[in-house]
Amino acid sequence: MAEELFKKVFTVHGGNFDRAGESSTEIKDKLKDLNIDANLVRRAVVIAFEAEMNVVMYANVGTMNFIITDEEICLEISDEGPGIADIEQAMQEGFSTASDEMREMGFGFGMGLPNIKKNSDFLKIESDVGKGTRVFARIRLNTDD
Amino acid sequence: MIEHGFKIDHEKCRGKLACMRACPTGAIRVKEGKAEVLSDLCIDCGSCLRVCPSGAISPTTRSLKEVKDFKYKVAVPSAIIFGHFPMGVTPAHVIDGLKSLGFDSVYAYVVEVALANRAIRDYVENWKGRYPLISSNCPVIVKLIQVSYPGMIEQLIPIYPPREIAGREVKQRFSEKLGIPKDEIGAIYITSCQAKTISILESAEGVKSNLDGAIGISDLYNGILTATFQKQKKDNDQKLLSKDLLHGMEMLQWSLSKGQRTNLQGYRYMSLTGLSNVIQVFDDIEKGKLRNIEFLECYACWAGCINGNLTVDNFYVTRTKLHRLMAELPENDPWVESEVKRRYAKENCYAKADIKPRHLRSDMVDIKERIAQIKQAEDILAALPGLNCGLCGAPDCRTLAADIALGISQKTDCVFFSKDRLEKLRRIHLNNKG
Repeated sequence: MAEELFKKVFTVHGGNFDRAGESSTEIKDKLKDLNIDANLVRRAVVIAFEAEMNVVMYANVGTMNFIITDEEICLEISDEGPGIADIEQAMQEGFSTASDEMREMGFGFGMGLPNIKKNSDFLKIESDVGKGTRVFARIRLNTDD
Repeated sequence: MIEHGFKIDHEKCRGKLACMRACPTGAIRVKEGKAEVLSDLCIDCGSCLRVCPSGAISPTTRSLKEVKDFKYKVAVPSAIIFGHFPMGVTPAHVIDGLKSLGFDSVYAYVVEVALANRAIRDYVENWKGRYPLISSNCPVIVKLIQVSYPGMIEQLIPIYPPREIAGREVKQRFSEKLGIPKDEIGAIYITSCQAKTISILESAEGVKSNLDGAIGISDLYNGILTATFQKQKKDNDQKLLSKDLLHGMEMLQWSLSKGQRTNLQGYRYMSLTGLSNVIQVFDDIEKGKLRNIEFLECYACWAGCINGNLTVDNFYVTRTKLHRLMAELPENDPWVESEVKRRYAKENCYAKADIKPRHLRSDMVDIKERIAQIKQAEDILAALPGLNCGLCGAPDCRTLAADIALGISQKTDCVFFSKDRLEKLRRIHLNNKG
């Protein structure tokens, strides 16, 4: 069983575009401070940022748990929001339910979940339509095994 | 030990904390009334040099006297020097002025700018990796990426800046012409900042530079002006026109903060200046934002190299003068074009080695211990006053807390926890004031 070394919980507010990305910045600083390989840091930050943006764009409120164990970086994001009806479809690159306004702002190109998938070693998504979504993403620290 | 682009004279340093407060990477501590640099953290931006009230921080540029040891001395001036003098002083006067100060020849790297532009364009065109690509002209930006954004190193364009291509050409050309070995020819860059000096003395990629050091524009300014005035009194001979010396406007364009915009027309291009802006944008890039920008031109100094810390004039003035000079020159010049055609195929414009991340804290403890340190630092921080007064000798309370957890500072460095610290500061700073 992996030993939990560090945990921090962030609250992410829906619609809060101006402050979106603050949690991912803090996560990045923490991982850098731990001298974790730059490539792993980059992957973790992309996951955190995309997940954070999903909450900001679609949900009312969400929490992001950032956990470091001796084996993995774990990011668990759960939100109270509309949920995803068809997860498989949502995982396809380019599929997006973003509004025109969001796209005009440069968001919602349908790359969020695919990007999260591309950058994680393990990914699980659970969703209840009308209630919310939970994303569990993990990155292995030791890339040799 | 990493060499840096400046040195601190402890005799002159009065421990006024200005450098510590100005340092963007938190690399300076002032524990015993004297500033010390944490070498690993320093990115050679020169912010400390600008603000020191005691004149204790000086750049590691060369002096004219040191340069005299070379058998044949060639000045390789940054184009910024041409925007530095009063209206009547033309590029021809500047070149004459440099010669009167002891240089045997002056090499304007017009063709090298065009070569670098061409190489950058080809590189951007063939790039298949992650965007945005980032210009590597500013040595501070290169070091910032090495230290703080190692994940972005592959996005740095590995093309030599024109000054380096020029250094190689100068040695080759004059050694052939004069029949003396290359190492007896001194190729001296005339620079607008101390960061380029250190990129010559100790390059980011760890290989020897093609240049033999640099002298700041500010060190030569008075000499050039004096020489020009004396000469103007004596002779009124026909000077060479700017067009004959600089050919097209490309070299002057390169020295401005949006120097690559014309070269990369058709690409999604962004130019940014000022270290704080660059850091903000790099943070966004790391999160995966700004995917649609293909090329980033960044400079640590506000407004770019024209505002380097070894310049003399205000940068608005310099910029205006450079623009006026550019207006006299054609956009392209057929001779430059033919030279590029001749040299591009046979000359390698790529840097000799890859740039690698600079790892901080090489004595890094394992992840568990480091997490314990971080937690300890957070506890310590909670107990500190949070006023960031800097009297402990660290730039802010957070840094002091981190230093204590690392074992390089004590809680008693904080004046709130130690009368001795306050007493020590009183002795250092009030000793001559009754």
